[in-house]
Amino acid sequence: MFGQAGFLWLFWHELRVLWRGSILVRTHKYVLAPVIIVGLLFQAVALALGWAIIKHPLPLVEMVLVANLNLFFFGVLMLSRAMTAAIDVLYARGDVDFLLASPIEPGRVLAVRMIGVGLSVAAPWALLGGALANALAVLGQVWALAIYPMLLAEGMVAAALAFAVVVVLVGWVGPAAARRVGHMLALFMGVFIFALGQAPRYVAPEHLARFWQGLMPPAGAPGVLYIFGRGMLGQAGPLLGSVAFSLALFLLVWAVLEGRFAKGVITAAAYRPPGAAARQTGEFRAMPFTAIFMKHLRLLSRFPGVASQTVYRSLTLVPVVMILGGRLRMGGGVAVVVPLLVFLAGQLGLFFISVMVGSDDSPELAASAPVGRTLLRQSALLAAGYASVLLMLGPVALVVWRAPGLLADLLACIGLVLVCNLGVGFRLPIPLIRAEFGKAQKGTLLGLVLGLGVSSFWAVVAWVAVEPHPFAWLLPA
Amino acid sequence: MGLDDGAALVVRGLVKSFGRRVIAGLDLMVQPGEFYALLGPNGAGKTTTLRMIAGLMRPDAGQISVFGRDVLADPLGAKAIMAWLPDEPLLYDRLSPMEYLEFVAGLWRVAPGLAKARAEELLETLGLWAHRHERCEGFSRGMKQKTVLAGALIHEPRFLLLDEPFTGLDAASARLVKEMLQARAAAGAAVILTTHILDVAERLATRIGILSGGALLAEGDLAALQVHAGVSSGSLEDVFLQLTAA
Repeated sequence: MFGQAGFLWLFWHELRVLWRGSILVRTHKYVLAPVIIVGLLFQAVALALGWAIIKHPLPLVEMVLVANLNLFFFGVLMLSRAMTAAIDVLYARGDVDFLLASPIEPGRVLAVRMIGVGLSVAAPWALLGGALANALAVLGQVWALAIYPMLLAEGMVAAALAFAVVVVLVGWVGPAAARRVGHMLALFMGVFIFALGQAPRYVAPEHLARFWQGLMPPAGAPGVLYIFGRGMLGQAGPLLGSVAFSLALFLLVWAVLEGRFAKGVITAAAYRPPGAAARQTGEFRAMPFTAIFMKHLRLLSRFPGVASQTVYRSLTLVPVVMILGGRLRMGGGVAVVVPLLVFLAGQLGLFFISVMVGSDDSPELAASAPVGRTLLRQSALLAAGYASVLLMLGPVALVVWRAPGLLADLLACIGLVLVCNLGVGFRLPIPLIRAEFGKAQKGTLLGLVLGLGVSSFWAVVAWVAVEPHPFAWLLPA
Repeated sequence: MGLDDGAALVVRGLVKSFGRRVIAGLDLMVQPGEFYALLGPNGAGKTTTLRMIAGLMRPDAGQISVFGRDVLADPLGAKAIMAWLPDEPLLYDRLSPMEYLEFVAGLWRVAPGLAKARAEELLETLGLWAHRHERCEGFSRGMKQKTVLAGALIHEPRFLLLDEPFTGLDAASARLVKEMLQARAAAGAAVILTTHILDVAERLATRIGILSGGALLAEGDLAALQVHAGVSSGSLEDVFLQLTAA
């Protein structure tokens, strides 16, 4: 629809671009039905959880602490996501110069971008937390609906902070390094949450109790520190105060950045010719297979976020190492590590092949070369398999050391899961890279769902192969 | 044996449809050493034609041979002596020019010593030597274009398909690239280029084909085109506008 380029018009345009680039629109039609079913199941579980919360109410101070901690975790993860999104909308999507060249007021463009990022980072948490809030509201606890304005406000704060940090970082170290900082932030938070969840396994109960007691707010949870937690619990004053604070911070950052954005100083900071120096490690070879193989490995190693995404997936190794090191005892003994490692290998293979397929900007270059399609496919698959195997060598060596009898089943299942998931990822890569302006994003949710299914399937097969009693892991060690 | 022994390119009865017919029975012949400019208005089918010749798209009907090698029956054999340069540079932002050339040379199986020497020579000639180990992501459009041109030339192709090769190049670089391409043609290679800069076609091409609606409207040197258009004199632009106005 043609219209005057006002704030709402621009906002509508931004939402449309975000929506059309979203995974839900691009995903395979066969995934939508399972996603809806899972969503309904999730809502049903949330209803049961809501019922349990009402039946066993916590004291207010504990509720405030839980709400505050959740807001903190959500906030850091939102900030991390907002940083990469801010880099995308300011520097990578490529339409800022186009919009700045138009007669639209630059301040509006910036405001719309910031709001768009805020909404996009708050939405997943609103969907997740909203399921529980909806359940509580249905059960008569209408206060729980305060999660929506609180998460929205938190999304706006995350967006404002992300824009401020990104502008400084990009001017300082460039967009690629700034993106890495965003990924690392998410990684640290992920590892922190994981470590906190595992704390009862390696921290003495009395120390842990003292830690939580130290975090507990005083009776009535007074003070600024607890205003957000109380806001999430639906207390009108703190709720309004939190939203007002978020709005004020958002406007402050917008006002500070607006002038520099209008002058083009912010977007110009990304232009830093020449490109970063690349370490020249290869050499000329008259072998297409080696050329493609090396190219894939180079692109993989230079993929932004490869380290954080790999570490994320490799968190499975923490229980594996603890089990093999004797720090964690489970029913089924050390055999439990076999399905864990098989699952990890499958997920790594899926991730690596998706990066290779997704970051191949110029597939037609190889297609125009005198090289068969089979060779192109094989080199990509082998490069992804090679990277996966390389990372699995350490854990497999640990198994050889601690439980050599498991090796044959482990290797067989790792091989099978890799073959299957490399095939899945090659045809249906998981979405990892945002599309440039005017280009379609590569990847599909179907690949993610299928890949997870394949990893889980082979993990179960591996478990059945090494442990005759399929529920041994539930039994006491 | 090919369709016409001795010809660099022979295209016969080429047809391609995407819902509607884009190429309608195109015939084309280019000789070794020729510099052929394929011109046409937007949507005339130039890029589709080049992509079919490059073996990236199968025609619905017709035959294509490059230096006697049937593109449809022996695509790898034909690709081995071809270079294709699309209008958007096919480049990996996270590779350096040297790594890019290493990759391209590997794809075309250029002997390592020869590939290294050619890569160094091309990077030096095209003014990219100082940037040979920098990632292409920070490059200007012109630098990217020069990098892909180096990639197109590293295996010394006998047949070059160039879609808007001068986009983004400054005047000095454009002249340099023209000289390099003319040198390739003088050495017996055939060059087909598409361009919307008609001055370039007029000065460089030994023969010009004007494509419209998926078929050749006219073909020949400027004098022949003038006769075809029914004008006694005038630039290629005048002739082009006259021919494509109908």
